[in-house]
Amino acid sequence: MDGWMLHWVQVSTSVMAAAASPSSGLLLFLLTSSPAWFPSPGSAFVTDWHHMTPSAPVEPHFTNCISRDQVTFSCWWTPGSFGNPSDPGALRVFYQKRVIDSPTKDEWKECPHYFHSRRECFFDRNHTTIWTTYCLQLRSRDNITYFNTDDCFTVENIVRPDPPVSLNWTCLNVSPSGQSYDVVVTWEPPPSADVAVGWMHIVYEVQYREMNSTNWEALEVQLQPQTQQTIYGLHVGKVYEVHIRCRMKAFTKFGDFSESVFIEVSKIPSKDSFSLLTLVIVLGVVAAVILIMWIVVSQQHRLMVILLPPVPAPKIKGVDSELLKKGKLNELNFILSGGGLLGSPMYSPEFYQDEPWVDFIEVDVKDPDTGEKQDDQASDTERLLGGSPHVRQRAGCSNALSDRLNIDDGALTSTLLPGQPDNKEACLCVDSERGERPPAPSGPQTWVNTDFYAQVSNVMPFGGVVLSPGQHLRTQESGPASNQSSKNEKKDGEEEEEKKQKELQFQLLVLEPDSESSTRQIIPPPYCSLPGESCRSIEPRPAEAYQSPYVSPDSPQAQLFAPVADYTVVQELDSQRSVLLDPPNLQSAQSCRLEQHPLKALPAMPVGYVTPDLQGALSP
Amino acid sequence: MIAIQGALWAVLSWPCLLSTSFLLECTDQDQVIHPYCLSISQEKLLDRAIQHAELIYRVSEESCSMFEEIFVPYQLQLQRNQAAYACLTKAIPIPNSIGEVQQMSDKWLLHSVLMLVQSWIEPLVYLQTTLDRYDGTPEMLLNKTKWVSDKLISLEHGVIVLIKKMLNEGLLTTSYSEQGLFQYDMQTDMVESVMRDYILISCFKKDSHKIATFLKLLKCRQTDNYNCA
Repeated sequence: MDGWMLHWVQVSTSVMAAAASPSSGLLLFLLTSSPAWFPSPGSAFVTDWHHMTPSAPVEPHFTNCISRDQVTFSCWWTPGSFGNPSDPGALRVFYQKRVIDSPTKDEWKECPHYFHSRRECFFDRNHTTIWTTYCLQLRSRDNITYFNTDDCFTVENIVRPDPPVSLNWTCLNVSPSGQSYDVVVTWEPPPSADVAVGWMHIVYEVQYREMNSTNWEALEVQLQPQTQQTIYGLHVGKVYEVHIRCRMKAFTKFGDFSESVFIEVSKIPSKDSFSLLTLVIVLGVVAAVILIMWIVVSQQHRLMVILLPPVPAPKIKGVDSELLKKGKLNELNFILSGGGLLGSPMYSPEFYQDEPWVDFIEVDVKDPDTGEKQDDQASDTERLLGGSPHVRQRAGCSNALSDRLNIDDGALTSTLLPGQPDNKEACLCVDSERGERPPAPSGPQTWVNTDFYAQVSNVMPFGGVVLSPGQHLRTQESGPASNQSSKNEKKDGEEEEEKKQKELQFQLLVLEPDSESSTRQIIPPPYCSLPGESCRSIEPRPAEAYQSPYVSPDSPQAQLFAPVADYTVVQELDSQRSVLLDPPNLQSAQSCRLEQHPLKALPAMPVGYVTPDLQGALSP
Repeated sequence: MIAIQGALWAVLSWPCLLSTSFLLECTDQDQVIHPYCLSISQEKLLDRAIQHAELIYRVSEESCSMFEEIFVPYQLQLQRNQAAYACLTKAIPIPNSIGEVQQMSDKWLLHSVLMLVQSWIEPLVYLQTTLDRYDGTPEMLLNKTKWVSDKLISLEHGVIVLIKKMLNEGLLTTSYSEQGLFQYDMQTDMVESVMRDYILISCFKKDSHKIATFLKLLKCRQTDNYNCA
């Protein structure tokens, strides 16, 4: 062994000689300073190698050399079995720094600081150099040197950092079952290790175990930052012990362990926060839904209005919209005629105060008929024709009328068609009674015609209504008035109906003197003198739907007006709200021209409204 | 004689350090400048250099252990601390304690680092050739040494760029054999060769640790000059 060592020395020196000439000094150094190379027992503290167990008496040797911060270091020795342990100064420590080419290469210096109580030699920072080899030896008083080359080291190789400080733990999370949990362990680097400066680079190792077990679980701290570590899978109810140590990076020597910290988590009450949150959310949603539904139900009308604005339906004020529907003409006419016990509320000006397009012609109204409920059409007609007492007598007529009038249920206008020839006879009887009728407050008595409407040829200043030529005209004060009123009412009713139907169109009769009416006179209209003519005028002229003779109950001074125009343009309304019509051609109103050539076939159209194309047809 | 040799060595190696004629940073084999190197910030550059140095140290330590395990007899392993002082000396004084480091300026520190790095490039190349020659050299050891050799070169580049950034000096990379002293004889004995390599590796391990520490100290100085060494 010795020879081998020597050989190694020789080899190394020769190598050095070959490698670098400055190392020739090394060779000399080696040869002179190490006369006996024998492995000393138990001195391999640098490498943690203890395979050499001393059996012989132990000589003084160094037990350990440790640096805590790579700035200073200390070495501890023991006198062994020699010497007196109680004698502190018996042994002295000498060290040597082996630096190539150093002028002090052979110099052994004494320990800079002794701690005899601990048998420690402390090298402060002024005497410490890193990356240089230190060799230590012990010398006794009698100059016996105990030296072992194993006791040479470089400082960075003997660094064992202090344990980390401020070890603490926090619970990271808990498993859903509540039986295991994770923990984060945190600490701080040892204050002696100058980590911040960068002089030392430290890595840590965390170890933990259950209280009663003997095996430690080790965790190398790999992740950055390196001052915390997560321990997974700890069990509830058990106590764990955790401690930590550290070492220099890329070195192998760990420092001491820190103080242990105990982790314990008692049983966790299974308050499932997740389900609690879910419950809260669900309740909130349900409450919100209930609230919304309550709002919807309580305000549904408003909501309906907002969401589904009502479509304006056909409507007449005071008339139930049900009546405007198909098939209910009787009731409608009844109401429109002011039927019922209410009189004619529809036609009161107050009723229509807010509707500007409705204009009233004020007429003394003696409501002719209040009792007629059977036949709305008939009552209206009777009002125009003669009033209620004639209803019975003209039952057949009126019935026939009403029957006929009811045939066409579709348009109201169709019901206004002139009477048919078959009613002629029935209505004739009315004629005979014409003159005998006292004027009834309900209106004219004898009516000749079977028609529902008659044209108003002229309106008298006193309120009388001049009807179409060729008919008997009754001029009765109340009659014309009633006629007029009823006619007006009727007209108004028509107009109102039509206007209701056509919104804002104010349509009076657009009267135009046609070829026939041109022959008639309006103001002052001469009457047709002949009752026969008037009777004849009853004859329906289908082509002239609007020339139905309309007889007003006249006073005895029944005058037959000259034929008047079928249509007259309404010029204006005077102050009394009477309609002023255009005077027709006087020349044209010479003869009671009964002959009326049929007009061009006019389509059925509502009285009072003339479409432009028909207007052209009407014009002469 | 030794002093004269040292002085000659210093004279020979100094001009390269102080030359500003060329501004070659991050050069590859063809001495082409990589403009990317200049765009990296100083902090990042320093961090990368530190990472390099630490990695180099770790790998060198592993290589040393591996080599020791395979080639060096067990009895001789205890002597490796002895071999520490057989390492090559350097031209300029390199601090060995924290006290000395505190007295050094940034400039000196950087230059020390550069010196160390540059001094080990060629020996590592030599080490690879010798390792190849041995029988039974594990592949891993060869790879490690190769890796270390490459990383050292890139570390050198990085340090040159750092010097350029921090000190505004331009430097040449080692394209020549500055040492000239590291002659090796291929005819030497196996044992001698092994021993030589062993010493080499140990010394390199020590120096790489030194490089890493210096760079970390430099970083501390850059960030917080008050508390640093």
